[in-house]
Amino acid sequence: MKKPHEIMDRREFLLAGGLVGAGTVAAAAVIVKDRLPEAPQDPTGDSTVRNLTVLKNVKVQENEDPHVRMQRELVKAMSKPVEKRHWIMVIDIRKCIGCHACTIGCVAENKLPPGVVYRPVTTQEFGEYPNVQIRFLPRPCMQCDNPSCVPVCPVKATWKRPDGVVVIDYDKCIGCRYCLNNCPYGARTSDLGRYHTTGEASGAPAGKDRPVEGAVSQWEHEPNNEYAKRWDRKGHNSPAGNARKCHFCLHRLEVGQLPMCVTTCIGRATNFGDSNDPDSLVVQLITKNNVQTLLPHWRNKPQCYYIV
Amino acid sequence: MTHTTLSAQNLEHGASASRWTTVLWILWIILIIGGVIGVVQRLMYGHLAAGYGSYVPWGLWIGLYFLGIGISGGSFIIGAVGFILGVPGFSKPSELRMAIVLSIAAMIPAFIGVDLDLGHMERLYRVLTAPTFTSMIAFNAWMYNIFMIVAVVTWLLSFKNGSVWLKPLLVFGAFLSILFPSQSGVFFEAVRINEFWHSPILSVLFLASAISLGAAGLLLARSVYGLRLATASDRNDEYHAVNWLRIILVLGILVYVVFEFAEFSIALWTTGPHSPNVEFLLFGDYWAVFWILHVLLGIVIPLVLFGTSQKGLWALAALLVTVGFAAARMCILVPGQISGQIPGLQQAFQDARLTYSYHPTSMEYLVGFFMVAVGMAIFYVGMRLSAALASRSQQQA
Repeated sequence: MKKPHEIMDRREFLLAGGLVGAGTVAAAAVIVKDRLPEAPQDPTGDSTVRNLTVLKNVKVQENEDPHVRMQRELVKAMSKPVEKRHWIMVIDIRKCIGCHACTIGCVAENKLPPGVVYRPVTTQEFGEYPNVQIRFLPRPCMQCDNPSCVPVCPVKATWKRPDGVVVIDYDKCIGCRYCLNNCPYGARTSDLGRYHTTGEASGAPAGKDRPVEGAVSQWEHEPNNEYAKRWDRKGHNSPAGNARKCHFCLHRLEVGQLPMCVTTCIGRATNFGDSNDPDSLVVQLITKNNVQTLLPHWRNKPQCYYIV
Repeated sequence: MTHTTLSAQNLEHGASASRWTTVLWILWIILIIGGVIGVVQRLMYGHLAAGYGSYVPWGLWIGLYFLGIGISGGSFIIGAVGFILGVPGFSKPSELRMAIVLSIAAMIPAFIGVDLDLGHMERLYRVLTAPTFTSMIAFNAWMYNIFMIVAVVTWLLSFKNGSVWLKPLLVFGAFLSILFPSQSGVFFEAVRINEFWHSPILSVLFLASAISLGAAGLLLARSVYGLRLATASDRNDEYHAVNWLRIILVLGILVYVVFEFAEFSIALWTTGPHSPNVEFLLFGDYWAVFWILHVLLGIVIPLVLFGTSQKGLWALAALLVTVGFAAARMCILVPGQISGQIPGLQQAFQDARLTYSYHPTSMEYLVGFFMVAVGMAIFYVGMRLSAALASRSQQQA
C-alpha cells in the first residue's frame, strides 16, 4: 500500500480534480438546460386555424342532442389557433352502461392491433347480493397537464401539444417502454408488431377462400390515420414497435369530427370539448357537477374528469 | 477461458488450469449456440416470442442489463482504486488491465441486451444524437459511452510507463463507475408514480451490489483465468488480492441485506401502497426467485463458503453471488410492475400482453445466454490482447 504522498503527485491530482469537476459541471448544465421550458414543437398561430363547415347550415335548436352541441363547439374551437384551445373529456359514469362501444369504436378507428388498447372500460362491483352495484369506468388517456410519461422519454418522442393533448411521434419513438412504466393509469400500451389474423387459416374450411397459412389478412395492412398521417405497420414499420396511446382522435378533430369514443357513446356519457370556452358543454358539466379525477395524488393534473 | 500461452507452472491454479479451460470452452460453446438461436428468433419474430407486454413492459434482458452495468462499474472502481492506492495484488498494470477488460466485457453485453429489448433497435443511436436529459435513460446512455471511452483510454495508457494521464483518468473513471451503478437505482427511483421503485434506497442497493458484483467478477476472473505469477511475492500479492475481494464481497452483500431489510420491513410492518408488491415478492409468485435464488444461493451459501479457507470455494461463492444478484435485479424489476393502479384494468380488455404477470420465455433466456457468451468472449479476447500488447511494449522497452 502506498503512503498518502505517493498516491498521486500534484499535477495528477489537479488533472483528476479538473476532470471530475468538468464532468460534474457538464452534467449539471445539460440537466438544467433540458428542464427549462422549451418552445412548442408544434406549429401555432394562424396556420392552425381551421374554418370548418360542419353543421354550418343546421340551425341551433333548443335541447338538441349533446353530440350536436359538442360538434358545434368543436367547429368553434377549431376556428381558434391551437394554443387557444384546451381539450378535455368529461365522462358521466352514472350514464355509462358498460357497452364497450367506445373501446371497439376506438380499435376500429385507429386500427389497433392485438394488445394495444386506448380506451378500455373497467367494471367494478360493489356490495354483496342483493345489494350490488356495478360501476363502469372508461379509461382513455388522461392528457395530463403534468404528464409523468413525457419527461422520461429519452429521445423527445412524446410531448404535450399547446391544445393539451399528449402525443407520440412514431418516427422518433425507439420503443424503450419507459413511458409505459411512468403512466399511473396504464394508458400507454406497446405495439409489439402483432396481427389479429395470423393463424386465421387454422380451423378454416378448405376451399379457394381459405386464408393462406400464416399470412396476415390484407385489411390489417391498411394504413391508419393517427396524427393525420398515414401509418402502415407492414414490415415492423411504425407504429409497430412503438408506445401508443389515445390522442383524442386528433386526426378527426382536424376535420371537425368528435373523437370516435364520443361519437359511439350511446348513453351520452362521454363529453368532449374546449375548456377555454366558458360556454361549452364540458365547462358546464365540470362546474355544475361533483367531478373527480383519477389518482389525483400523483399530481399529474389529468384532463379527463369523471362525474360520479 | 484460460490464457493458453501461460504455462501451468506460471499459474497459481496451474493444476486446474487445463480443466478450467475445457469446462469453460464447453460452457461457452453451449451458451453461444443457444444464444445465437435466441438472437435469430428475436430478429426473425421480433417481440412475439417474449413474455413481457404492456403492463409488465420490462423483463429478463433489462435485469441482465443492470447486472452487466453493476459488474462493469464495480470491477472498474475496485481495479482503479486498488491501482491508485497501490494495494498489493492490484498495483500492477496487468492487474489493472484485468479489471478494465472485465468492466468493458460486462458493459457491451448489457448494451446488446437493452438494444434487443427496444421496439426499434435501429433507432438506438437517437439516444445519443437527440437526447432529453430529463430522462435517466438518456443520461445513463451518455455516461456509459463516456465511461467506455475512459475505460479504453486507461487500458491503452496502462501499457505506457509513467503516463501523467493514467491516474487522473482512473479517478474520473472511478467517479463515473460510482455514478452509473447508482443511477441504475435512480432509473427506477425516478418513476415517481411507482411506490415500490420510488425509494432512495435503490441507489444504495445498486451501488452496493455493483461493488459486490465487481469483486465477484474479479475474484472469478482471477480464479479461472489466472495472472502471471512468476515469483513468491506475486503469489503472495495474489493471495492478498483475492482475500481483499472476498472481504469486499462479504461487506457489499451485508450492506445490501441491511438496506433491503430496511426497505421490506417497513412495507411489512405497516401496510402501505407498495405492500402488495413486497408480498408478491416474498410470499407470492416470486417467492422462489427471492428466497431460493437471491437469499439462499446469492447470500447465505456464499457467506458460508467465504467463511472457509478454500479459494476454490470462494470462486464458487463468487459465481453464486453473481447469479444471486441477477435474481436480485429481477426482484426489483418484476414486483414493481405487477400491480396496476386502476382496479379491473387487466380484465377490462383481455389480451396475453395486457396482464400483470411476467415469466421469461425460452427465447429470452437464450438471448441471456448470448449476452453471457459475448461477455466471456470479449473478456478472453481482451485479456489475450492485453498480454500481447504488454509483451510487445516490454520488448520495445
